[in-house]
Amino acid sequence: MRCRDVEALWDELRGECQASLKETVHSHLRACPSCQAMYEQYEGVAYCLSCLPRPEPSCDLAKKVVQHIAAIKGKGYPPIVLAAVTTPVGRLYVGFKCDRIAYVSLDTGAPAEEIVARAERRLHRRVVEGTAPGWLMHALDRFFNTWSLDDALVDISDLTPFEQAALRAAARIPPGEVRSYAWVATQIGRPKAARAVGRVMARNPLPLLFPCHRVVDSSGDLHDYYYGLEMKARLLQMEGYRG
Amino acid sequence: MPTATSGRTAVTHPPADSTPSVANFERVVDDYQRRLYGFALRMTGNREDAEEIVQDAFVRAYRALGKMSPEQRADLRLQPWLYTITLNVTRNRLRSKRPSNVALDALADPDAILRESHEGPPQPETIVEQNTEIALVERALLQLPMHLRAAATLRFIEGRSHPEIAEILNQPIGTVKSHVHRAVRILRRILGPQIGRFATEGVPLHALS
Repeated sequence: MRCRDVEALWDELRGECQASLKETVHSHLRACPSCQAMYEQYEGVAYCLSCLPRPEPSCDLAKKVVQHIAAIKGKGYPPIVLAAVTTPVGRLYVGFKCDRIAYVSLDTGAPAEEIVARAERRLHRRVVEGTAPGWLMHALDRFFNTWSLDDALVDISDLTPFEQAALRAAARIPPGEVRSYAWVATQIGRPKAARAVGRVMARNPLPLLFPCHRVVDSSGDLHDYYYGLEMKARLLQMEGYRG
Repeated sequence: MPTATSGRTAVTHPPADSTPSVANFERVVDDYQRRLYGFALRMTGNREDAEEIVQDAFVRAYRALGKMSPEQRADLRLQPWLYTITLNVTRNRLRSKRPSNVALDALADPDAILRESHEGPPQPETIVEQNTEIALVERALLQLPMHLRAAATLRFIEGRSHPEIAEILNQPIGTVKSHVHRAVRILRRILGPQIGRFATEGVPLHALS
């Protein structure tokens, strides 16, 4: 047998296999030092992979799954409708309930299924796909003309008071300007909570509309953005930022 | 042949109480969350992503179970099916993320992967462990193209057999074997010749795990 044919059999030895197969491989290895060395490396790889630690999922993972399932079964609430809309910054998925926007996600090429799952995870509500009504198109047109938010068009009532306050403070930053996480924290009377503000911005269910892209490091560094720093810079530029 | 039929029924239909359904789904979650989390973690190298992937995978499974007939549910092979769903969610997510520094499609040429990996090591936040040897292996695994990483993870970390992996990946067994083989070849080159020592001497990974 040629070396390559024997090599194809290595992985077979891991499970239950015929003694004759084992003998075929081992007799070749005994006679062929270069194969022997490679086989040891193969065993090494298998061994290393099997030694990788198996971290436990966080203890509330199961609870989150159960909550998520309860949310999608929830018959009492009307679901949030998610519609794809084309805007000056690209294609967006916009979720709304009644006459208010509750969720925004930039289209990053993920299948709609995944966007729905992500929205459900964030909002704890059933989300269904639909089309954008006239008022929504109108509201988005106005937003992208002025880059300022009409509070009557959004619904963040499901968020914690801290999250709501931080997002509203971010919405007070004028378009084309930036403020630091610490500035937002001070605005809402929690001057030491800059880090927590950062977390709220990272989980903002209404990016763009609540302009977390205007919140930056205290050094003026753009720091981070869910859709990438390039997008953060592009948005600020569109608003007229000269940083 | 009546005997053959009844024999087959006995094998493919598990006891009624173990048939997965929306009613006993909490138990399904409890039984499989660790396994699926471990798999998603090795596929993504990121705890947060892995948790969300597992959550989405369970919700997808729940929805799919709700649409199945009792016969379909009784015939369902739960474990491979859940792995498959987890893998699909992982693929969707990794595909839609910003392109990583590793060329996931440079699969035909292992050297291309090695060149890429030398130019741009994975970002620190994607590495789960800081422990040097373990981090080395984790990083190497993340450098594989996704389909080879899936094959290697299922084979050596999850300990699945070739037929099981073929079922999970919906591929012929021959393809699975060749993917496992190619994955090992690339890992061997990334990890270097000293890797053989780890297995024969049982160090240093053994001490760390």
